[in-house]
Formats: sequence, C-alpha cells, structure tokens
Amino acid sequence: MEQAPESSKVPGFRKTTYCLSALVVVFVGLAAAFLGNLWGHPPARQQIALVDKGFLEKTPWRKTYADMVRAKEDLSDFDCYGCHDKKHPPPLRFDGNSILIVPEEHKDIVMGHGSHNRNNLCYNCHNESNLETFQVRDGRELKFADSTQLCGSCHGPNYRDWEAGAHGRINGYWNTKLGEARKLDCANCHNPHAPRIPTRMPAPGPHALRTPVGNPHQAETAK
Amino acid sequence: MPLTDEKSKPDTPPGGSIDRRSFLRSTAAFAGLTALAASLAPLRGLKDYTSTEQFLQKYYKEMTPEEMEKVLQRITKEVEHQYGIRPHVRDLRPMNGVEFVYALNLTRCIGCRKCVHACVAENNQSRSPEIQYIRVLKMPHGSMDVEKGNHLYDDKEVPDKGFFYMPIQCQQCKNPACVKVCPVNATWQDKDGVTVIDYDWCIGCRYCEAACPYWARRFNFTKPQIPADRLNPEMSYLGNRPRKQGVMEKCHFCIQRTRDGKYPACLEVCPVGARKFGNILDPESEISYIMRTKRIFIQLKEEMGTNPRFFYYFDK
Repeated sequence: MEQAPESSKVPGFRKTTYCLSALVVVFVGLAAAFLGNLWGHPPARQQIALVDKGFLEKTPWRKTYADMVRAKEDLSDFDCYGCHDKKHPPPLRFDGNSILIVPEEHKDIVMGHGSHNRNNLCYNCHNESNLETFQVRDGRELKFADSTQLCGSCHGPNYRDWEAGAHGRINGYWNTKLGEARKLDCANCHNPHAPRIPTRMPAPGPHALRTPVGNPHQAETAK
Repeated sequence: MPLTDEKSKPDTPPGGSIDRRSFLRSTAAFAGLTALAASLAPLRGLKDYTSTEQFLQKYYKEMTPEEMEKVLQRITKEVEHQYGIRPHVRDLRPMNGVEFVYALNLTRCIGCRKCVHACVAENNQSRSPEIQYIRVLKMPHGSMDVEKGNHLYDDKEVPDKGFFYMPIQCQQCKNPACVKVCPVNATWQDKDGVTVIDYDWCIGCRYCEAACPYWARRFNFTKPQIPADRLNPEMSYLGNRPRKQGVMEKCHFCIQRTRDGKYPACLEVCPVGARKFGNILDPESEISYIMRTKRIFIQLKEEMGTNPRFFYYFDK
C-alpha cells in the first residue's frame, strides 16, 4: 500500500526517465563515436615536398673579377703573360665561314656576344698591346675590375638605366641612410662572352589544395 | 554483489543504505554526465585557436605602446612554444615621407619562380598545404589577357620561346576593394601605402578574398605547417608572424624588411633584376626614375578603379 502514491506519479516519472535514458544513449553513442574515431581521420592531405634551398639563393650566379679580388681568390687565370708573350699579341684564326676558332687553351669560352657572329673579335674589348686590360673604342684603357664601364661604352641606354638603378640588380637597403645598397655589375649576371641570360630550371609550381583534374590551361598554352 | 544483497534485505532502514532505484538513478546520471563530457571531446581542439590574452586583446590602432609590448611578448612566447625558436617580433610602423611603389619589368622576367619561394621563406607561409603570395603567369606573346595565362606551367627550362612571364601578387591598391568589404576593420591601408592585416582581429569571413580582383589574398583553411628549421625569426606584428587557422593573409611588401629600410625578399632573390621597389616620394629613387622614363604598360586591371601601386613595364 505504500507503493500507491508513488505509482500514481509513474507517468511523469517514466517520461523523465525515458528522456534521460534517451539522452544518455545519445551521449554514449557520440562519446563512443568520437573516442573510437568512428568516422575515421580526415583524408590525409598530400604532403608537399619542401622547396630546394638552392632556389632561395640570393648570390648572383657569376663572380666578377672585382668580386674575386675582394674575396682574395686565386687570380692566376688572369695572369695572361704567364703564357702569352708581351711583344707578340696572339693572332686570331678563323674557319671558312669567318667564325673565330677558339684556341684549345681557352676552350671554356663560349663565343656568343651579339647575333650572327658579328662581334667575335677578341680585340674589340681585350687590349692586344696589354692583355691584362681592356680597350675602349674611345682609346681608354680599363682594368679588368672596371668591366662595367667597358660594357657601358657600347650599351649606352642600358648603362644609363643601370646607373639610375633601373637595369640590373641592387641588393640590400632601398633606404641608403639605414644601410648599404649593393649594386651588382654587368658581369654578375651576364657572361661577357655570351651575355644572353641562359635558360634555367624553374622552381616548382603551385600545388592545389585538392589535386586538380588536368590542367585547364594545357590546351591553350600548347597552341 | 552488493546490489543483490540489498535486494535480499527489503527491510533495511531507508537512511541506512541506498535502494536499487536511487542506485540506478545515480549511476545513470553519472554515466550520462561522463558521456556528455566525452561527447564534447572535439572541443578540446579549441585551445589551439586562441588564448585568453589574445581573446581579450584590444584593436591594433587602440593599443597603447605598453599593451603592444605585452602582445609582442605573448607572440614571442607562443612562437617559441610551438617552434622552439625564439623570434624577434617587432611592431614596425610606416616611416614618414615614404610611399612604397613596386615596378616589374616584363621584358626581363624569365619565370623562374624564385620570388615565389623566397617570399614563402621570408614570410613564414604554410608549406603544406601551400600558401604562396606570388603567382607567375606564363602568357603567350602578343596578348595582355591574363585569362590566357597559366600559372601551373612545369617546363624543364624557362623562359620558353613565344611566352612572357607575369608575376602577380598583392597590388597594394590606392583604392583597395578588400579594405572596404572587411566587416571588422581587420585590414587597412597604412600611410606608406601597404595594406596590412591584423591576424588577431580577422574573423576569417573571406569577404576580402572575394572582393580582390587580383586573387592576392589567401586563406588558412587548415593549421599552417612550417618546419622549424625554415622559420624566419625576424618577425613583425602586421607582417610575417605565424598565422593561425582561419585567418586571411597576403603580400605586405615584406614590411618587416621594407619598414626597416631593406628591399623585399622577392626583389633580393630575382636573378635578372626584373623587380624594382622604392619610395615614390623620393625623386632620386630608382622607382621614381622608372616612373618618369620607362614605358609603364599597365596597372593590372586598371579598369577596376583600384589604382594599384604595382606597375608593369617594358624596357624596349
């Protein structure tokens, strides 16, 4: 008989119990799902390889004579009269198509200054009476370290731009009150014997967040 | 088992021990609460998103120098905790009498993409997934239509015959669309012309990304990944400090370098000197010379009225 008042509460009590147990089941289910990682990890992204540090290199690809002097490097390659004779400038030899024959001792030199081999005479720039200097068309004699002025004697507009900072590289500080700006010379980027900038391998291109399906531009660029 | 023991003694006094019903009820409640706690497990990941100090941090322009100092210390601590490298974090403000302008020589650019990666290295962008501020478009000769450009080229050698290359990055517009759409003023144009982002104020709505006509803004969809040995420890608050998931980022002309007087990283690494940068208010600067004498071909998409501070020009 003691149970009677309690049993009269049963419908409300039952409702609460059902609700609570339903919630408990939901929570237990969710907890099990999260802890047991039921949905699994998100699909692993493709790991992108780090770029080769060579592509981050800031130093120019060539060293000028002035750089080598500054770095106190071995300058024996520039000792012309170690082999040549001061009194007899080396003669230039040409093949049948009047293309200069580069002597065996200088075969590392690629002749490519100007198109159609029109500028293949060594003594256009080198001085036959003193091989350790350059000669300029106006009669000046320049040291190896002043090669930029030699280039400027023919390439006027580019030399003007270079002096103003519009052609070529400047590294360091744009604000020269705060630090030094280093202006690179012609021969830091151009090989004087073949001044056209050579082609090179580009750094890797962008990777999309999702793997793209084909390259939409391929057809266009192939034309 | 205590449960059956209790059941076998129905005449136990009510206050002495617990009956079956209340035992079950409390067990169920306990189990329910445990399950609730466990089901909130994914929230544990939240602590990576923000710290209390950052959450309570003031707006950048309203911070006093002392508050800024505290924020810089917090960032230093966070970076050191995450990467094990003690960074040098500064808050660099624009210089007086300086307005930055960038010019890019399309005759010279060979499309080697060195600028792209120098930028990533300098500005601590995520390496995987990849965030890059510069896109180099390979464009066929005889057209300035960027829709003909391809930034996914994978040639063995560049430059390719019959193409020119056009790198595109944030144009630092004088009339920036991205700044206008930001609902929380997390991005603004500083007086030296650089549009910057406060990464702690950005809510990640990506309106600016949609507004930018140059696709210059990038969103951190995931937590950025930077190997500790590639982290650049020279940082600035509005510049290259590491970002979090869910914020925007973009080129800021390397303010940690340029507001210190140096050239930006993309210019430093350019092997052909195609990139030119400087103070346009200084008539002696190379950028002023270029603006005066060179054939400035375009401000990219100038019909948008954004008035970029990034100019493309040709030599001949």
